[in-house]
Amino acid sequence: MLLLIQYTLIFASVLLLVALGGCISEHSGVINLGLEGIMVVGALGGALVMSSLGTSSAFVMVLVAMLAAILAGMLYSCLLGVAAIHFKADQTLVGTAMNLLATAAATVFVKAMNTAANPDNHSSEIEYISARKMFIVNINGFEFNWFMLVAVIAVVLVYFLLYKNRLGLRLMACGEHPQAAASVGVSVYKMRWTGVLMSGALGGLGGLCYILAGVSVWKFENGVAGFGFLALAVMIFGQWKPTRIALAALIFGLFRALSNTYTGFPFLVSLNLPGNVYNMMPYIVCLIVLAFTSKASRAPKAEGIPYDKGSR
Amino acid sequence: MRKVLKNEAVQAFIASVICILLGILIGYIVLLFINPAGAGESIVNVIKNFFTWSRPASQMKQLGNTLAKTMPLILCSLSILFSYKVGLFNIGTAGQYVAGACASLYAALAWGWGWLPCVLFAVFAGAFLGTITGLLKAYCNVNEVISGIMLNWISLYLTNTLLTNVKETASPYTLYLDKTNPKALLPTLGLDTLFNKNANVTIAVPITILAAFAVWIILSKTKLGYELKATGNNKNAAKYAGMAQNRNIIMTLAISGALAGLAAALLYLTGYMRWECTQSSVPSMGFNGIAAAFLGGLHPLGAIFSSFFIQHITDGGQYVNTNFYSSQISDVISSVIIYLCGFVLFIKLTMKKILANKEEKKGAK
Amino acid sequence: MSGTHASEYAIEMLHITKRFPGIIANDDVTLQLRHGEIHALLGENGAGKSTLMSVLFGLYQAEEGTIKKDGKEVKINNPNDANALGIGMVHQHFKLVECFTVLDNIIMGVEPVGALGFLQKKQAREKVLELSRKYGLQVDPDAKIEDITVGMQQRTEILKMLYRDNEILIFDEPTAVLTPQEIEELMQIMRNLAAEGKSILFISHKLAEIMAVADRCSVLRKGKYIGTVETKDTTMEELSAMMVGRNVNFHVEKKPAVPGDVVLEVSHMTVASKVHNNNAVKDVSFKVRRGEIVCIAGIDGNGQSELVYGITGLEPLVSGSILMDGKDITKSSIRKRSVSGMSHIPEDRHKHGLVLDYSLEYNMILQTYFESRFTKKIGFLRRKNIREYSDKLIEQYDVRSGQGSLTTARSMSGGNQQKAIIAREIDKDPEVLVAVQPTRGLDVGAIEYIHKQLVAQRDAGKAVLLISLELDEVMDVPDRILVMYEGEIVGELDPKQTTQEELGLYMAGAKRDEVKDA
Repeated sequence: MLLLIQYTLIFASVLLLVALGGCISEHSGVINLGLEGIMVVGALGGALVMSSLGTSSAFVMVLVAMLAAILAGMLYSCLLGVAAIHFKADQTLVGTAMNLLATAAATVFVKAMNTAANPDNHSSEIEYISARKMFIVNINGFEFNWFMLVAVIAVVLVYFLLYKNRLGLRLMACGEHPQAAASVGVSVYKMRWTGVLMSGALGGLGGLCYILAGVSVWKFENGVAGFGFLALAVMIFGQWKPTRIALAALIFGLFRALSNTYTGFPFLVSLNLPGNVYNMMPYIVCLIVLAFTSKASRAPKAEGIPYDKGSR
Repeated sequence: MRKVLKNEAVQAFIASVICILLGILIGYIVLLFINPAGAGESIVNVIKNFFTWSRPASQMKQLGNTLAKTMPLILCSLSILFSYKVGLFNIGTAGQYVAGACASLYAALAWGWGWLPCVLFAVFAGAFLGTITGLLKAYCNVNEVISGIMLNWISLYLTNTLLTNVKETASPYTLYLDKTNPKALLPTLGLDTLFNKNANVTIAVPITILAAFAVWIILSKTKLGYELKATGNNKNAAKYAGMAQNRNIIMTLAISGALAGLAAALLYLTGYMRWECTQSSVPSMGFNGIAAAFLGGLHPLGAIFSSFFIQHITDGGQYVNTNFYSSQISDVISSVIIYLCGFVLFIKLTMKKILANKEEKKGAK
Repeated sequence: MSGTHASEYAIEMLHITKRFPGIIANDDVTLQLRHGEIHALLGENGAGKSTLMSVLFGLYQAEEGTIKKDGKEVKINNPNDANALGIGMVHQHFKLVECFTVLDNIIMGVEPVGALGFLQKKQAREKVLELSRKYGLQVDPDAKIEDITVGMQQRTEILKMLYRDNEILIFDEPTAVLTPQEIEELMQIMRNLAAEGKSILFISHKLAEIMAVADRCSVLRKGKYIGTVETKDTTMEELSAMMVGRNVNFHVEKKPAVPGDVVLEVSHMTVASKVHNNNAVKDVSFKVRRGEIVCIAGIDGNGQSELVYGITGLEPLVSGSILMDGKDITKSSIRKRSVSGMSHIPEDRHKHGLVLDYSLEYNMILQTYFESRFTKKIGFLRRKNIREYSDKLIEQYDVRSGQGSLTTARSMSGGNQQKAIIAREIDKDPEVLVAVQPTRGLDVGAIEYIHKQLVAQRDAGKAVLLISLELDEVMDVPDRILVMYEGEIVGELDPKQTTQEELGLYMAGAKRDEVKDA
């Protein structure tokens, strides 16, 4: 049971961080379908730090790895920013390309790195056993991960940013009615860049959190298994509101955690279902939830529509 | 000359070529970055693909293999572009392809069906999955990209579970088709002899080319195409004109799914590939279809050539110097190309602007 | 007042030229605004008024010409520059974020903030309340924009300018969405503002309003500056001649109506709203007969759109029934209604009327493409027939475009797009023609043409249902007027008997009759 709670919280943290990223980006008017790819790149950035940084200080390790993930995610999100904000590219297409590119590029990169270190090693794996321990505090068998705290802080920050802050007011105006924002001198391009970069930072963090959730070695060929898209579903279910997104993330996190821990529940084992059923659960739940919540969606009105200075 | 440049199709072609060249250039830079020594040779090998073999007979055989995989890619890109013309981004093509693989292999290996019913069953399976996305979109307003991704994973795990029943005991791969049920193998129609007895070249080739022409004709010359494109361009106007919007959305995704299902059947029933039942990611065929569709200027006949090119460099990936590089460099190149396709509109506009400026200057003189 | 200023003029725009690809929107235009005056800018749709104001507001940059503030040359590159110079604008389409509160909309761009950008709204709220008292602009600062009336939204826009202490206030077609009574209130507000020393630019194409409120009036025509006159020295006729370039007959020529059988009968129709929870149309009943034009008049947003959606089948009814030629079509599909004789000229030609990326010929068959003359049995389009039909309509209805049938609809002018829709809908030879704001955004020539077509349809024995927001159109074109207010029909008027004032009272809900069955 404790294990289930632990996995629920850590997967919820992943979904929450990434969904908040998607939420900010969409509030600024850009649909970020590239979150999946941003997660991979963020994870790669963090993994590189974790495998190479030789520090014994947990604080330094956690901080530097997170910063690396944030930075990597932000850099990668620039691909979306340039294409969607300045070149009016199809945001769905660009997001998809970013997802494919991230996995391919990360694989090529890690393989090249591994091969350079050892000519016989052609795997796309990075190990971070000792680093992972530094992220975790063991409380009576419950593995507390610092990311759980980071996720909570992120909700609070995003809430205050969107509803109590000048930046949030302007940013949301750009996603609802960019012409109105422009008419009072708000730079729509600047706000949309802010949204995209913040989603890059949160997506990168979420990616690092994901590869730390249950394992100490990550095979980059596998990407992040649709978690970026699950996070978007969490965002829709949460109706683009930070607090509701947090709740939604917990629900989805629970179903994802079941696939890791169902063997610990005699009741579930006695059902004798194939393990793949539990693997499918989060996706099935997601579809069902979306089917019931998408109709009354309160998506930002101008999301996905390129802003053109000339049009009124 | 100027007249030629003003032609939309020519502009689309030039834009695609620019994307390809930039994509390869970036791939080359990545290789240089990893190890400058072998980069030039490796990138050339990626582009040469089967030409890296010296004997013409081997070349033909390898070309045959590339063709065998090009056919499903063409169908996947048709699947993508067909729905894109109706304003739907069917990223679920990848999952519908998986469903097709599952249906055709299960019918062939577990039930011992002949090749034609297997193909039809795969088409049906793909269409079924597409229909689910369509129903969700039409009646529940679920974004088709997100439901598509979810269904991709669901169908992957479902396929892994089901095909485990027909896998080899010692390996995670499904049984050999030619040993278990040879009548499920696609007929070669003598095409194999053209490619140095490569039995992977089959009836799939004519079927695929016919499918491309059929999609082209449907979209450009029929009432159905007129309705679907109207829906894609302006769904409000389509509703105003009394077109059955929900029916069109569902039908589009069903057809799109059928094409993806067909794609999988035409690959797995050649016996060239077997399904790995522990696979943890969705096969990239469906995603590469996105690249091929956009690179082909979203034209069904353009898709034939762009698909061949993408498959060509994807296969070329295996000829890189694996001491330094990995074959995924091809995936990097094709995903960079997809990304750059997002700029096609911009490239075309720039071309138009340059042409207009030149004309204005000429007029001024 | 003027003694304290460095120049006689608050703002001068001298010899402004602004080009867009293919057209010159402003061609050497000069406009001089005095301190404390109300200055009207008159011109038809497309005359270049909005472009000129966008240049002044920094949304566009002019290719040639200079702008002076208090006699000194200034550069305005963006709305921030305009704001810094004390220039504010109420746009024709309000620039308000619907899910924000009134206060948030007012402060956006000049938010009072503390450390780290956190908003401090208390003082802002007080300032807004004080301003609304001072100028008589009643509005609740904490209400959301999507919940308040259009009139209140406009007041929010005015407060936005006052909050920024703007001295030069631009009103872009501010009366289009208001009732006659609200218009009167707005004019009083404008007079108050001018009396306080604010300089006001008032953009309009409505002559009566200009004569009533403005001190001077500058006229634009087809992008060119025609001249400036003192309103007290001129007449409506003179202004209209300046605006159009010829004397226009505002009155629609028509013979008395000869109404025949009832063709369209709506009984107890109720339609839900997509915007709010109440029903948009409540228990409405009326009839339209052969050979008459019935006009639904009312302020925008009183349920007219939903009424049309209900009749044409774009939205289902909550309750009630619709009969066409005596047959019940309440549950019929859009296609069924269209085939059995209903034509619909939609409110928004870009949203509903056209597939903009289709060629003109494909748009011409949008309602009839499935007929055997355009489609073979096995589903192939008959391209030759389509071309011939389209060419015929283009010639008959004088639709002008670059490449005839092959022109992309998107590249055509608004007037010609509308003509194409009208050609398509009239050529279907309908029993009932539903025309929703058919002249919106068109110039005088096109308006005259469309009014003639409507009357011709009437004279050919068709039933015409016209939905209009333009008072002139409401008074001139129809044979009967039904006034809609908050989803109900509140009055039936005879255009020959009634006056604009009486109409206005009904439209504002100040007067109502029991209209059981019109």
